[in-house]
Amino acid sequence: MSGIENAVQDAAKKLLAENKVDVVIGFAQGSQPLRSTPAFIRKPEEAEKLTWNCTCENNLANYLRKKEQKIGVVVKGCDSRSILALMKENQINRDNLYIIGVPCSGMIDRKQVADLCEGKEIIAAECTDDALVLKGHDFEKTVNIVDVLHRSCAACTHKNPVIYDEMVAEAVTEQKEDFADIEAFEAKSTAERRAYLSQELSKCIRCYACRNACPMCYCEQCFVDCSTPEWVGKSASDIQDNMLFQAVRVFHGAGRCTDCGACERACPMGIDLRILTRKLVKDAKELFDAEAGVKMEDKPALSTFESDDPQPFLVKE
Amino acid sequence: MNNPYLPLPMKLVKNFTETEDKLIHTFTLEFQSEEDEKSFAYTPGQFAELCVFGKGEAPFGIASSPTEKGQLKFSVAKVGVVSTALHLMEEGATVGVRGPLGNSFPMEDLKGKNLVVIGGGFAFTTLRALSTYILHPDNRADFGDLTVIYGARNPGLLLYKEELAEWEGRSDINLVQTIDRPADGWDGRVGFIPAVVEEVAPSAENTVAIICGPPVMIKFTMPVLEKLGFKPEQTIMSLENRMKCGIGMCGRCNVGSQYVCKDGPVFTRSQLLELPNEY
Amino acid sequence: MIITKQDIPNFLDSLKNNYQVFAPVKQDNYTMFKAITSGSDAILDYSNSKIPPKGILFPQTEELFSYKVDKQGAHLEEKIDSEQKVIFGIRPCDAKSIALLDNVFNNDKYEDPYYLTRRENTVLVGIGCNQPQSTCFCTSVEGGPFDTTNLDLLLVDIGDKYVVEVLTDKGKKVLTSAACSDASEADKQAAAKTKESATVVSKVNLDGLKQKLDSNFYDEIWDSISEKCIGCAACTYSCPTCHCFDIVDEAKDCDGCRVRNWDSCMFPEFTIHGSGHNPRPSGKERFRNRVMHKFKYFIDVNNATACVGCGRCIQNCPVNLDIREVLADIQGSEARSVS
Repeated sequence: MSGIENAVQDAAKKLLAENKVDVVIGFAQGSQPLRSTPAFIRKPEEAEKLTWNCTCENNLANYLRKKEQKIGVVVKGCDSRSILALMKENQINRDNLYIIGVPCSGMIDRKQVADLCEGKEIIAAECTDDALVLKGHDFEKTVNIVDVLHRSCAACTHKNPVIYDEMVAEAVTEQKEDFADIEAFEAKSTAERRAYLSQELSKCIRCYACRNACPMCYCEQCFVDCSTPEWVGKSASDIQDNMLFQAVRVFHGAGRCTDCGACERACPMGIDLRILTRKLVKDAKELFDAEAGVKMEDKPALSTFESDDPQPFLVKE
Repeated sequence: MNNPYLPLPMKLVKNFTETEDKLIHTFTLEFQSEEDEKSFAYTPGQFAELCVFGKGEAPFGIASSPTEKGQLKFSVAKVGVVSTALHLMEEGATVGVRGPLGNSFPMEDLKGKNLVVIGGGFAFTTLRALSTYILHPDNRADFGDLTVIYGARNPGLLLYKEELAEWEGRSDINLVQTIDRPADGWDGRVGFIPAVVEEVAPSAENTVAIICGPPVMIKFTMPVLEKLGFKPEQTIMSLENRMKCGIGMCGRCNVGSQYVCKDGPVFTRSQLLELPNEY
Repeated sequence: MIITKQDIPNFLDSLKNNYQVFAPVKQDNYTMFKAITSGSDAILDYSNSKIPPKGILFPQTEELFSYKVDKQGAHLEEKIDSEQKVIFGIRPCDAKSIALLDNVFNNDKYEDPYYLTRRENTVLVGIGCNQPQSTCFCTSVEGGPFDTTNLDLLLVDIGDKYVVEVLTDKGKKVLTSAACSDASEADKQAAAKTKESATVVSKVNLDGLKQKLDSNFYDEIWDSISEKCIGCAACTYSCPTCHCFDIVDEAKDCDGCRVRNWDSCMFPEFTIHGSGHNPRPSGKERFRNRVMHKFKYFIDVNNATACVGCGRCIQNCPVNLDIREVLADIQGSEARSVS
């Protein structure tokens, strides 16, 4: 891991020293155990602040839309897919972007780690290549990173960046797509699915962290904020409205969402948002053979029309 | 405990299309009882939240003067949910009014002073309230010379045309009307407000300027007033930040530590110079 | 006085006869304050709730009044909640935040009857913090793990029982339904020792911060300080002192009603004018306003810092934008007072 970290720092330092970019966006050590934080590095000598470990959870593509500056960015597989998807939507000018690709072995899920510690506060943590050493007031624990990977990382099919200017390490082995989780959910009755989603969305506080953490959520005015007309009620106490908010949001991401998990990680209330976003990822793949942010030449699923497109939503076939 | 969130139901007695582009209507509302009217004692410069039941509420400056008994007037541009609903309302309908809110023009301090009232476009509403109040026989002697400089993009966009015509004929007010560009049928003055203020050149001595209008008009009129000798404490403005509660609680209209709704909307320029430029 | 942990469920159940009782309960892997149906729902080993209990007095969504409009006019029915309430297990920082909110909802000109009625009818039973979290910095903002500001009772955890400090008559009255015994000298000593050993590790330096903020509105630091902020409301909605709200009309669970919802200064719509002009157009201005509001404007108006050091904004921020670091950065910056 420290090899990658050094390589990231070197790449950033070089870019800044040679004035190829104005800023490098990467990760720095966060203020709490198991946290890293997005960092904006503008001087070569600050490049040493950059870090790389299993807590670099944010999708940095979120900081790249409509920017005038020349930016260097440290990306994982998922970040790179979002960048590619945003390029297709004319949100990113590739000429102004230098992509430092990092093959990613997956980021941890802080929620799972907290569960393993039974809610006791972790006051220090150390990341090694494949394990976390956690320390609390009255405990010390070592957990394998693979056991606490965020679910989107555990299911990731593009660990290696799909687009980059330089890659700082050897590619890692990819795995096959597996939608078993979504298939299990689809197999449930409508009532069961509704009950589950209602329970999850009853926790929503409408802070919109999910939306704002998503690189693909960039509407100038989100439909939830619109007052003329008011498409959806503003109160968080209405589960139907919370459900409508998420439903429209995930539909809007159909064929654009890369299942990076940024929305779910951002949610302070721990709502299972991926059950919705990933269902749409599966649908886009199965119905339109569309996979977001993988190939530049693929047309966006919802912006193209073929006469033989499946229409199960519209017509009973 | 008095509930500041409850609106007073009032009857819409007149829904008048004020401008040629039909985007501004003036609403005349009637108090339902003497008690209601008593509970709504106001001063020029204050505002109120108008509510259309089922649509919501929005803040508007009170365009009538307290000397006009039994009713309130509001001139409203069609921009959002509430204002659009208001425009469509039929006479006789019930409208909710919450207020009066905010401070007001400092009427006591203005006594004995000459006044230069400068307004642009549809920001003339509370200036109408002020001018009407001063022109009332009970009050006129309390104030010195009254100069009103009022401009709009074209004649059709001037508010309160009948009253302007009446003021033209009076000797106790010096009314200067102007439009931005020449227009058919307009034989009055043509020119932007800052230039007209410079031409009229009111003396700053024992005078207070009260100015309301679009940001660009304010921006270019300020240097003119300064040149004429108006000090920041002699210049009064009214801010229009987005508001909701109107009572200094909901948090959105602050400029620095001042809430425009509760501590304003009327500020002297010297007060504003102390505040950040978030308006 | 002494109450054993074993007796707490019975105590809460008996309180339920006269009060609506709110207590910390488990939701997923975190804690929330909720109205409990049984005394045994309350959990006692928690750090602090995910969302502060301010929502009990100032709900995220609240109907202000309902109305009917017909030919005769409008008929309004105000919905003031005057039910007696107990918030059991509130932490001292959150209790202190309510003292700050009192300033907002009872300002120099207006009183908010919804908040103030609930406030008057609510008893605050605090539990001190034996083990403050690493994100807690209450002692830097005039609080402490056993601070009694605003509390009616303070419970000090000494193992299998609590030493109860009676702070007000309201608290005394609540305690009559508890199976209490007198605290022994040993209990009192244990409580004193507990208080002593609770340490708040995290510190924020507020010395001179206000003076700095008085003059640094146009400082370049605001450009970089908020750069990573994504503009969500995870911080404001989890903040015990944030009080911004919106008012809307709804017709869903009523013929017609006016409702207020929490709102956030981090959202662009919060300040946008009808004309489209926005006085706080980007994340920079909005973030600056949030910091200024807590550490300058609130002091200007109410002579108190609008932060109680609960650390929730630190824990809940999706990008780990840490207010302690923000304040330290401001402290380290050069002041610049011109635009």
